[in-house]
Amino acid sequence: MKVTFPHLGSMYIFCKAIAETAGIEYVLPRPTSNRTREIGEYSTNESVCLPLKIILGNFVEALEDGADTIIMVGSGPPCRLGLYDRIIKIVLKDMGHDFRWLTIPGIFNWQAFMQNHEETKELRKELSFANFAKFPFAILMGWKKMNWCEHLEKTAARIRAMAIRPNEVDHMLEHTLEAIDKAGTMSSLSKAGKEGLEAFESVEKNKRPPLKVMMVGEVYTIMEPSINMDVEKRLGHLGVIVERSSYFSTHIRKGSRLDRKLLKKRKQFLDNAGRYLKYDVGAECNFSVAETIQAADEGYDGVVHVYPFSCMPENNAASVLSIAGPDLNIPILPVVIDRQDMGLRIDTQLEAFVDVLRWRKQGQIL
Amino acid sequence: MASGSTEIFLGIDVGSVSTKMVTLDVNTLDIIDSMYIRTHGDPLSSLRVIIKRLHQMKPLPFIRATGTTGSGRFLAARLVNTHIIKNEITTHTLAAVKILPEVRTVVEIGGQDSKIIITRDGHAVDFAMNTVCAAGTGSFLDQQASRLGVKVEDMGDLALTSDSPSSISGRCTVFAETDMIHKQQIGIPMNDIVAGLCRSLVRNYLSTVGKGKPIEAPVIFQGGVAANRGIVKEFEKQTGLRFQVSPYYGVEGAYGAALLASMVKAEQPEFKGFEMLEKTFKINSFICNKCEEACSVIRLYRDGKPVSFWNDRCGMYSTGEING
Repeated sequence: MKVTFPHLGSMYIFCKAIAETAGIEYVLPRPTSNRTREIGEYSTNESVCLPLKIILGNFVEALEDGADTIIMVGSGPPCRLGLYDRIIKIVLKDMGHDFRWLTIPGIFNWQAFMQNHEETKELRKELSFANFAKFPFAILMGWKKMNWCEHLEKTAARIRAMAIRPNEVDHMLEHTLEAIDKAGTMSSLSKAGKEGLEAFESVEKNKRPPLKVMMVGEVYTIMEPSINMDVEKRLGHLGVIVERSSYFSTHIRKGSRLDRKLLKKRKQFLDNAGRYLKYDVGAECNFSVAETIQAADEGYDGVVHVYPFSCMPENNAASVLSIAGPDLNIPILPVVIDRQDMGLRIDTQLEAFVDVLRWRKQGQIL
Repeated sequence: MASGSTEIFLGIDVGSVSTKMVTLDVNTLDIIDSMYIRTHGDPLSSLRVIIKRLHQMKPLPFIRATGTTGSGRFLAARLVNTHIIKNEITTHTLAAVKILPEVRTVVEIGGQDSKIIITRDGHAVDFAMNTVCAAGTGSFLDQQASRLGVKVEDMGDLALTSDSPSSISGRCTVFAETDMIHKQQIGIPMNDIVAGLCRSLVRNYLSTVGKGKPIEAPVIFQGGVAANRGIVKEFEKQTGLRFQVSPYYGVEGAYGAALLASMVKAEQPEFKGFEMLEKTFKINSFICNKCEEACSVIRLYRDGKPVSFWNDRCGMYSTGEING
């Protein structure tokens, strides 16, 4: 058995850590390239959203590299009517690939448990006692690595906006994540993380006060830089600290329903969005609106709303946000991502947005 | 500064369809000269034409600062040696506000993109650009003009002669074309078709670019398409507002870039644009295979030597870490 999983920001470090620690063979999908995008584009209906195309491409490349079992996160309605993961499965079958499929449910309920139970029946036979015995530790290792990754990414987002040479910060983050990924023990892990943080602090900073924006929108688009065309990095280079509430760990904690505090916060979010949305539209729509309201309340300079072209829930959110922006007196930039979106176009919009924010805050753009 | 020569600020706008240049007097900020030419997909040549025009000024001007804008702004900045590089949304705002300080809405339709900019108290507060579709921009008007056998410059006046514009679908340019061919074949006169096209382009702009944005007077209309009086009339009819066509509608971006150059206080590097006339510049691209991303990196040569790189996602070449 060789498992593989989708790319989602630094999530691969988490998945890899679990697989390695538990002694399960895995194939890491190749980093998303133009070829990946082309595979996804060519094999799906044109109106399907970009994240689905890219994830499909990642899986095809992983299968080519010898994977035989795909682990995919499931989602609820209305995203592709709740069949987001299943659609990928069907397309892959149509393409003639042979593989086994395991859905990690988005929310752990009875129905999800049953489905999971069915799917894992065969897989469990291939796992040894040693694999199971190591599992709790593997999860712990993965969880720790993920927390480090997210902490480092948040720090990098802050430092990048102030750095004289933001490229330096990008390289540091890359190296540190690599070190985190390689760390085999808890102590080497925290050493790698601390070294990364120290490196960030040593970066030469400029005097220009940074701006702060909240990034909201569709989950995959927010979390995977190769899908959102490096929006976070590009803004960072323009002197903007990008914050987001959506990290991989947020979704695990939400899905597991163990973190009461988080669940309460999410509930509060939905209540806040009630000013504009009377019921849950689904996916992240209501959260995009709620996070925008929160950003306005907390004095952020602006909101960047990223979502794939043809994404139904986020298109709803975009309509609401076009009213909420002037209402809450906060600038909102919708960034619609599709295959055609070349970097320069995104740069133009982001740059102009940053100029708008600087004007509002400092009365000048220079 | 040599005695007797004029000191100027220079603005260059390298767009997808046209390349524009504006020079300003450093003291009065009045426009001394402006130029609008077609890019024809070859920004190097069009830039050279502009530089030649500058070089012909007698006496040779001293360029205190240069600003570049448009989709080719990075290329232009490298060639003339400046750090003042701005997106076209900001430069268009600067120019519009200079022309009409109380402006509240800027409508801009260029070669391949269209924008709306909401301005308050002399600066942009909100803007939108066409997203994944270029329906209703200048390139499409260009294409249709040549297909119909009329000059794009004459389309507006032709539209004004129509009393009953034909209905043309404006959502997608491919279907708009199909629709227009159909209308021609059933014998609808050319002026009604062109007027119908203007109407549907305006409708498309208002529903896709202008959606949800408050279009309030005074409105300034700029970009190449503002030359089309048929479109101006349609805009006024559909919004009920007066659309004031900017006197510099074609070179607005370059004007804004020059104005921006005049605002920058810091000492500017020496203008090297005139080198373009003496040395040979060449651009090519190569696929970098250092990682899976396989970026198509663009390389600029001066007299056969690579001097500048861009379009690499990781910045390995553009930051000078690796030299080709």
